[in-house]
Amino acid sequence: MPDMQALVNEFLVKLKKRKIEGSQATAKQTAELIRSVISQQRVPYSNQAGALMDAVNAVGEQLIAANPVELAVGNIVRRVLHIIREEYLSLTTAAVAGLNLLSVSDDEDDTEHDDHPVLSAAAVAAAARSTLRPPSLQTLLEDVPDATAIPRTSSSGGDSEGKSKSADKSSRTRKLKHDVIEAVNELIQDISTCHEQIAEQAVEHIHQNEVILTLGSSRTVLEFLCAAKEKKRSFRVFVAEGAPRYQGHLLAKELVSRGLQTTLITDSAVFAMISRVNMVIVGAHAVMANGGVIAPVGLNMVALAAQRHAVPFVVLAGSHKLCPLYPHNPEVLLNELRSPSELLDFGEFSECMDFGSGTGSPLLHVVNPTFDYVPPKLVSLFITDTGGHNPSYMYRLIADYYSADDLVVQRRPATGS
Amino acid sequence: MWRRSASFILDNQQRRKDVASSSKPESISLSPPQLSSMADAFQNPNSSNPKNSAYYQTRAAHHGVVTSDWLAQAQAAVGRPPDDQASSEPEVPAAAAAASEPGRPFCVIDEFNNWRKQPDLAEAVAAIRALATVIRSSEATTMMELEIELKKASDSLKSWDTTSISLTAGCDLFTRYVTRTSALEYEDFNSAKSRLIERAEKFGEISYKARRIIAMVSQDFIFDGCTILVHGFSRVVLEVLKTAAQSKKLFRVFCTEGRPDRTGLRLSNELAKLDVPVKLLIDSAVAYTMDEVDMVFVGADGVVESGGIINMMGTYQIALVAHSMNKPVYVAAESYKFARLYPLDQKDMAPALRPIDFGVPIPSKVEVERSARDYTPPQYLTLLFTDLGVLTPSVVSDELIQLYL
Repeated sequence: MPDMQALVNEFLVKLKKRKIEGSQATAKQTAELIRSVISQQRVPYSNQAGALMDAVNAVGEQLIAANPVELAVGNIVRRVLHIIREEYLSLTTAAVAGLNLLSVSDDEDDTEHDDHPVLSAAAVAAAARSTLRPPSLQTLLEDVPDATAIPRTSSSGGDSEGKSKSADKSSRTRKLKHDVIEAVNELIQDISTCHEQIAEQAVEHIHQNEVILTLGSSRTVLEFLCAAKEKKRSFRVFVAEGAPRYQGHLLAKELVSRGLQTTLITDSAVFAMISRVNMVIVGAHAVMANGGVIAPVGLNMVALAAQRHAVPFVVLAGSHKLCPLYPHNPEVLLNELRSPSELLDFGEFSECMDFGSGTGSPLLHVVNPTFDYVPPKLVSLFITDTGGHNPSYMYRLIADYYSADDLVVQRRPATGS
Repeated sequence: MWRRSASFILDNQQRRKDVASSSKPESISLSPPQLSSMADAFQNPNSSNPKNSAYYQTRAAHHGVVTSDWLAQAQAAVGRPPDDQASSEPEVPAAAAAASEPGRPFCVIDEFNNWRKQPDLAEAVAAIRALATVIRSSEATTMMELEIELKKASDSLKSWDTTSISLTAGCDLFTRYVTRTSALEYEDFNSAKSRLIERAEKFGEISYKARRIIAMVSQDFIFDGCTILVHGFSRVVLEVLKTAAQSKKLFRVFCTEGRPDRTGLRLSNELAKLDVPVKLLIDSAVAYTMDEVDMVFVGADGVVESGGIINMMGTYQIALVAHSMNKPVYVAAESYKFARLYPLDQKDMAPALRPIDFGVPIPSKVEVERSARDYTPPQYLTLLFTDLGVLTPSVVSDELIQLYL
């Protein structure tokens, strides 16, 4: 579909040029794009889930490659793949339950399915169920075939049961796509409302006359603090300015306009002020599977200061920020270096930039990383739209939202099917 | 006020009573130190050497630089009849033996020992193969009978060597699988039986596959120019390093010597074959070199419910040093090593002792700490690489609950 490809290309360009700010916007646009891909995809009668997943994999691979540091893109792609598997599974078990009743009555008459291995309906459902579970000790001894092969074998098992089911199947085709798109709509809804759901929990965590510290500006934190203010809690906020973008200034202005007592400090003053603070509340760019946080630069320092003074370090993150990958060397691989002009004006230091030391490279380097990695042992609590959790609990949420087979998103090699 | 009591005095009195009834003096000869005790131990670890752990004896045998024909010669020299325990024929020994000697009662323990001697075979795989032979030679006609026979065999295996965690875990896993399979759909007993046997034999492949999965999963964590400290000889860790070396990563390895098993020597041999720069350290030099190390890699004899590991003596020490210097400790373990144990401290596990040879005679009044393994609590471990994926220590108990409940 040339139409579809044009949309995808447009989005790819936006990702490559880093035109989209913030993980929520990225996640929402990715989800909408994938929804259009799914609705435009024509599915064959058999192996519908496989076809849908192939389409999503193909697009997802390109999207992730365009901006590998923006983890929300990969998260949404994997969420959709998980949704497809789940919807397919629930449809299959419902269909099999229906077929089971029919096949019992047909058994005496039909003798032509002796060439197929005699797998009862329960076995098919069990096999389908076991592919959906992440590999676990239970499935260790079972022979688990390839994940996308399962839709094929199940539907071919369905084929052998009789021809009267074909009408049933075409309605099933439409139903799968329909269910998947509905679920993706729910996902988009969740992404849009994550701020409200997190802000609802503010009252449990912020108490009267507390002092909260934050760094830079995060919309989730802003809504969180304002929700507490609405419920008549009176508290003070210290905002560290968050050099070099100084977004803390904007946050401070916003908070003041909503009536909160605010103090603005430099990043270097965090260690000096932390002993006066009751709690640190920050947003995150992404949360990794081990509970580590990819956060705006400067937050590792704040986390260390908080640990040193026994101040709870609370991270607010919507569920689209949960990433099922484990970080190895995140300071380098999951970081982005922005333009040095945010630190230095080009005019002032232009002489230093030119001079070389014999090899011709400039003597002055300016490094402007965007993100920091905060290890899980420094985080006290994660507040997501499902509630408050320990860092060591993150793997449970990830097991709920993602399938283990989708960790590497790549287009499957074309197999003759 | 409540200090630990000087219980060693009471313990000593107890031990003196034991020593009076047991026979073993400290072995004085240099090489091979474990020959006679090893042959004894295979009969029954509970008879002559009351506490020596057969599991660690076997591992020592694997690590020893003794070849099998040397062994045969030595046994001939000692004058024992070369029994089939010294053979290294991996093909179906017991089945053939059972077929040719129908009068001899089938012994699952012999079967297990035969499988266990192969250096490349994991302990749990040997256990499951032995249990498969039980199924094959069983005359049960219903699932319940089969399960009862299996349970008996698995209990006798477990009680024969109480110190091996993989053995226990492997037996439990297989028994559990059998119970669960029987609840499924196979109406025909014979087809169920043959499927069980097939699964059990396939388990050996699963074990190899597990090692490869672990190697793949851990590749990302080994970066160019890193220094890895390895303790003990784990076939899984070796596979990890092999895969990294084959994908042309540049790294170097520090091996601890691993007294008294000399695991470091064996491991450095293997790594030198792969052209990986290796440096041998004595066990005491770990803290000295920990500065240059980027990560610690160990295997595990067992992974316990808390997420900690039971491994060769010295692992806890190294994990403590690494933790205090902020170096990550990675554990590579297959998932069938997860066990339902929860040790609270080092003494909480069944003791697994092994003879230690110091090379010089030791006066009989001097005690020797002969335990072969220690327990590393989960807070000193960073990540576990298993065939279920990368796990943090807190995930282990979750997995165990899913399996056993």
